[in-house]
Amino acid sequence: MPLLDKLRAIVGPTHVLTGVERSPYVLEGRTPEAAVLPGSVEEVAAVVVQAAEAGVPIVPWGGGSAVGVGVPPARAGLVLVLTRLAAVVEHEPGDLTATAQAGITLGALQGALRSRGQWLSLDPPDGARATLGGVLAANASGPRRHLYGTARDVLIGVTVVTADGAIVRGGGKVVKNVAGYDLPKLFIGSYGTLGVIVEATVKLRPIPDDERLVAVRFERFDEAAAALRALLTSDLIPNAVELLDTASGGGLGLPLAPATLVVGFDGLGEQVDWQVAELANVVVPCGGGKPVGLPSSTWEPLAAAPRDAFAAPAAIMTLSVLPAAVVDTMEQGAATAREHGLASAWCAHAGVGHVTATLRVEEHRADPAPVAAVLERWRAAARAGGGHASITWAPLPVKEALPVWDDAGAAGRLMQRIKAQLDPNNLLNPGRFVGGI
Amino acid sequence: MATLTATRKAALRRELETIVGAAGVLSEPDELLVYESDGLTLFRALADFVVFPTSAEQVAAVVGMANREGIPFVARGAGTGLAGGCLPAEGGLVISMMRMNRVLEVDYENQIAVVEPGLVNLQLSWAVGPRGFYYAPDPSSQQACTIGGNIATNSGGPHTLKYGVTVNHVLGLEVVLPDGEIVWLGGKTRDALGYGLAGVFVGSEGTFGIATKIVVRILKKPQAVKTVLAVFDRIEQASVAVSAIIARGLVPAAVEMIDQLTIQAVEDAFGCGYPRDAAAALLIELDGLVVGMEAQAEQIVAACRESGAREVRTAANETERQLLWKGRKSAFGAYGRVSPAYMVMDGVIPRTRLPYVVARVNEIVAAHGLRVGNVFHAGDGNLHPNILYDPRKPGEEARVVAAGAEIMKVCAEVGGSISGEHGIGLEKADFMPFIFSAADLELMRRLKEAFNPRGLCNPGKVFPTRKSCVETGPVAYRPHAIETQGLAQRF
Repeated sequence: MPLLDKLRAIVGPTHVLTGVERSPYVLEGRTPEAAVLPGSVEEVAAVVVQAAEAGVPIVPWGGGSAVGVGVPPARAGLVLVLTRLAAVVEHEPGDLTATAQAGITLGALQGALRSRGQWLSLDPPDGARATLGGVLAANASGPRRHLYGTARDVLIGVTVVTADGAIVRGGGKVVKNVAGYDLPKLFIGSYGTLGVIVEATVKLRPIPDDERLVAVRFERFDEAAAALRALLTSDLIPNAVELLDTASGGGLGLPLAPATLVVGFDGLGEQVDWQVAELANVVVPCGGGKPVGLPSSTWEPLAAAPRDAFAAPAAIMTLSVLPAAVVDTMEQGAATAREHGLASAWCAHAGVGHVTATLRVEEHRADPAPVAAVLERWRAAARAGGGHASITWAPLPVKEALPVWDDAGAAGRLMQRIKAQLDPNNLLNPGRFVGGI
Repeated sequence: MATLTATRKAALRRELETIVGAAGVLSEPDELLVYESDGLTLFRALADFVVFPTSAEQVAAVVGMANREGIPFVARGAGTGLAGGCLPAEGGLVISMMRMNRVLEVDYENQIAVVEPGLVNLQLSWAVGPRGFYYAPDPSSQQACTIGGNIATNSGGPHTLKYGVTVNHVLGLEVVLPDGEIVWLGGKTRDALGYGLAGVFVGSEGTFGIATKIVVRILKKPQAVKTVLAVFDRIEQASVAVSAIIARGLVPAAVEMIDQLTIQAVEDAFGCGYPRDAAAALLIELDGLVVGMEAQAEQIVAACRESGAREVRTAANETERQLLWKGRKSAFGAYGRVSPAYMVMDGVIPRTRLPYVVARVNEIVAAHGLRVGNVFHAGDGNLHPNILYDPRKPGEEARVVAAGAEIMKVCAEVGGSISGEHGIGLEKADFMPFIFSAADLELMRRLKEAFNPRGLCNPGKVFPTRKSCVETGPVAYRPHAIETQGLAQRF
């Protein structure tokens, strides 16, 4: 029996998409042989077994919000869509944990948790579309990671379907657990190259009584740098510390300023009040303006900045640097872009050294060369400071002009060995990840 | 367990001396005895050599030699582990990291420190304390245990309830892989490139290689700390109070439970001010801003009273606070007052199952004709039943082991885990199937294969294959050499 018929037998004919129905699942011009939508963990495993037997590669797909990250596979094979696995399996508020299937959107999960006074402390962009499994596989994060960390700080258990179709559980349901190897850490940020995440158990937090976001404007970047240093060594406990340049701030509708520090606080009402007042004492002497309150609707676009700063981005790069290097990275990076005649927009989770930059497409310039040249120089700057930089979105010609991922060095060889052990036939998202994994 | 002939051993000793110096190699049986077990003295295994490297290059050279000769090797810190994880189960080399104990760099602006693995946990907090910082993971053995050892077991401690365990504080590691290659996993930046191998390495119990430099986060000390003691007449009330605190949306820095037997042992030994007639006490700590601290403490008091606490009091000053914590942290030592020996168990359960499981633990131990003291991290459901016994009484140790296995089964049955912070090591390798399927273990084996394909790096640990020639099963208790020298207590 041909593969597609076998798949129809597993998931039902309406859940195997061929023909034009595949169009939402086209990967940078590469059309998959089919998109398959299994309805249970067991069906995922059965699909993987059949694909493995036929030697057809698999691209796991959640909300599709991160499919532009990395190198598109040479052969799209089967897109394995997980959105039918969307159940909250278990939520025990007293344990501050929840287990959900991978295909639930982050927004739907947060909604279910919120109704019982809790939340999952991950706030990446596109929460309405991004799925829990996709957020974990991409290690996506947002502004509140300043206080609450990333997936590695919340994921305590994971169920994956491995390349040979086995259903494997790592970690568990309890918040503290050192039995066996920490498989959840392995699958975080692995972009579907080691297994298909089908279920996850996460630590939760109580929803704070109050939360507020304020903006502080600066006329000069070095003043913002001084304020940032003062803030991070003060007694304040912000939940978000974002630094935006003019273009990113403008994209959020903030008053135009050379640099804007956006700071979030949560906790009891009296704690938030005190911190907002104290923030002025910290930043104003450094040259900052008076903190101005922002509506809570700012959180969502803030998480996506500076992606949406320009109507047509030419490329987006994420740079991981030391927190103390954030301001220089932004200021010098923008200057580099200008030297090549390009406009850029910058935003950083400044307290943790996570910087994102977007280049603008200039009219009449289809040439990827200057874009690639700027990205190369940004990467070199990040590396010079002990960090690294990877392209998170770019059109294919740019991705072909320079490596999408930074060089993982000696650790990269270890990553290759792990990939070879877990996916010896290279069927899971082949070629997408670091070092051609 | 010596495995080498005398001539080969002499030749290898000379080679090790050329790497680490003559003063850096032990090979005489009486010297090796100190390293035959860790804090869990049920298991013993003798190495052929103990070596003391002082750099990553020396570690790599020793590992290179071990590879060439096909000799197993295992890294060891302070030896305070409680699962036999650092034992030379199949002979060979113990690589002691105790001479690599420096703080290499502290970067206050970026809030990170780079340390060597042999650094004692508490010494890092001492080093950065004057500038208002500390290192958050605080295992009870933190005065003795090393950060490298904490990496191996992914150690926790009371304050991990709010701040997370070791892995949440490690950004990067320089590692000597089992084949002798030196690589960096992660680094100084918060986000790693590629797979999160630093996170995978932490908690791998020495089977993925040997960490030689560690980048950790250091945290600012909180503006305010408040410590509350809640006293209960029934242990179930204390268990219920833990859930009541969580239900109020509070996340204390620590919630520790101490039962009556333990309270009495602690009071006999140290007099820390716990009421001797209480069935259980909760030691609860809040930290953070001064503003709001009072309001949160009131919530804690209300949650405890609602759950039936007969008394709730707050430490009035730092001296009182330290005294309460001394009671908690010295509990293990205090058992020496009430029993010639004890075995500490380590299991985790969902917090809401505390009332049921604590009762079951006490039933199980009683059914084996033994006594148990409970002192544990109640806030995150991490149990530490300490089964008291007399090793001179024939058969008692075997009953302890049997009761321990039953307790682990109960933890597994309620959806918990067989270890929260001590690790699997040798002790619990055979319990792994309680919570993991054959497929789960197979994936872990493949991961190990990628790091440690020859299996020479800390063999015989974690996985349920019991073919090592360690003295397993009950053996008569003998005090560990470091105990007889007064260097350590049994934690």
